[in-house]
Amino acid sequence: MTTPRLHAALLALVVSLISTIAMATGPSYQVKVDGLACPFCAYGIEKQLNKIAGVEVLETDIEGGRVIVTMDDGQTLDESQVEQAVDRAGFTMKGFEPLDTADSQ
Amino acid sequence: MTTRKLLKISAMAVSLVVLLALVAWVMFVPQATGNGYVFIEAWGSHGSEPGQFDDPTGIAVTEDEVFVADSRNGRIQVFDHEGQFKRAFGTPGKAIGELGRPMNLTVHDGELYVPEYMNDRIQIFSLEGEPRRMIGTPGDGPGEFNAPGGVAVAANGEVFVADFYNHRVQQLSADGEFVCQWGKTGETGHQAGEFTYPTDVMLAENETLYVADGYGNRIQAFNRRGEFLYKWGGPLALGIYGPFNGWFSTVTGLTVGPANNILAADFHNDRIQVFTPQGAFLNTFGETGDKPGQFNNPIAMDVAPNGTVFVADFQNDRIEKWRPSVEPVR
Repeated sequence: MTTPRLHAALLALVVSLISTIAMATGPSYQVKVDGLACPFCAYGIEKQLNKIAGVEVLETDIEGGRVIVTMDDGQTLDESQVEQAVDRAGFTMKGFEPLDTADSQ
Repeated sequence: MTTRKLLKISAMAVSLVVLLALVAWVMFVPQATGNGYVFIEAWGSHGSEPGQFDDPTGIAVTEDEVFVADSRNGRIQVFDHEGQFKRAFGTPGKAIGELGRPMNLTVHDGELYVPEYMNDRIQIFSLEGEPRRMIGTPGDGPGEFNAPGGVAVAANGEVFVADFYNHRVQQLSADGEFVCQWGKTGETGHQAGEFTYPTDVMLAENETLYVADGYGNRIQAFNRRGEFLYKWGGPLALGIYGPFNGWFSTVTGLTVGPANNILAADFHNDRIQVFTPQGAFLNTFGETGDKPGQFNNPIAMDVAPNGTVFVADFQNDRIEKWRPSVEPVR
């Protein structure tokens, strides 16, 4: 195989891998938490949410008082489990809603 | 009742309220005394490159280096006192040498003590970044942690840990064996010796133990025998938060400065407050913002041997450097 063709094949492989990883991401949810104010509490909520099976990525917005939870492909997030996790962290859940992919970007 | 009488009673009531407010102000809002601090410089921005931060949550300073807990990046960054990047160690994870949200740092006897919030342990490194040993496991039993936030080390190597979610402070031997604790495990409280999410601990030169009672909005002090000495922060140190001198809105870090004065990171008030070792308010520095000399949630600070103060400015993802002023505060 010539070098340009090898490069093209490698590029196609990388693109394919990235696409597969992107496609493998499951649904996202927005969790609103009352009193989410500093890293000591934000990390506590992340620590509890991470214990829920299927959670892949957590993004915390301390100033906005919300956590975006992204699940593994094929997994969904149960609101009552989130409520319990937030409660164990010492906080009160104020909102829970599934996000469209576009919203979570 | 005549209108005149009503007016008279109203005027008396208003006078009484004003008088009580004045008395409360005098009793519970001390005035600044002593020298203040002057801003020198700042470094850092948001990111994961060397010199950038994603949640700086802790800081420790030696004679010539500044160690920063770069929490979400799962690493410790090391700078010289002018902010020049020197090295970094750690990556996010649970294995030896990896870090799960490092918090308030302490340097003792040539080693760096790193409380790991997510991994429920204290990991000890050489100052070059070589992992040496670990103390603690997850849980609420003796010698176990639930989100350790800060650590202090005595001259004999004994370790004191602010065990955040267990609402207690533990004293452990140098190899991690449980010695004793302050506070009731898993229970918040506002009495002396009780805690509401303690965030940091510090030992003074005379080994007085100071505890940042985070959401208790106060500082508590204990002698080396473990006996309660005093507490301060807001009216009667009962947990009431506020923006006034000597009050806190979540105290997240402690360190000792010149003359054994105590510096406290007053997170939501965007300032560092300075107290005598007995808790008398001296002065404060910093104001809200993202400009030089301002803070957006200062979370921790440490003092170099020459008195220079380095502050982890959490929301601004930077380190600020201050020095004591020779000018008296007016």
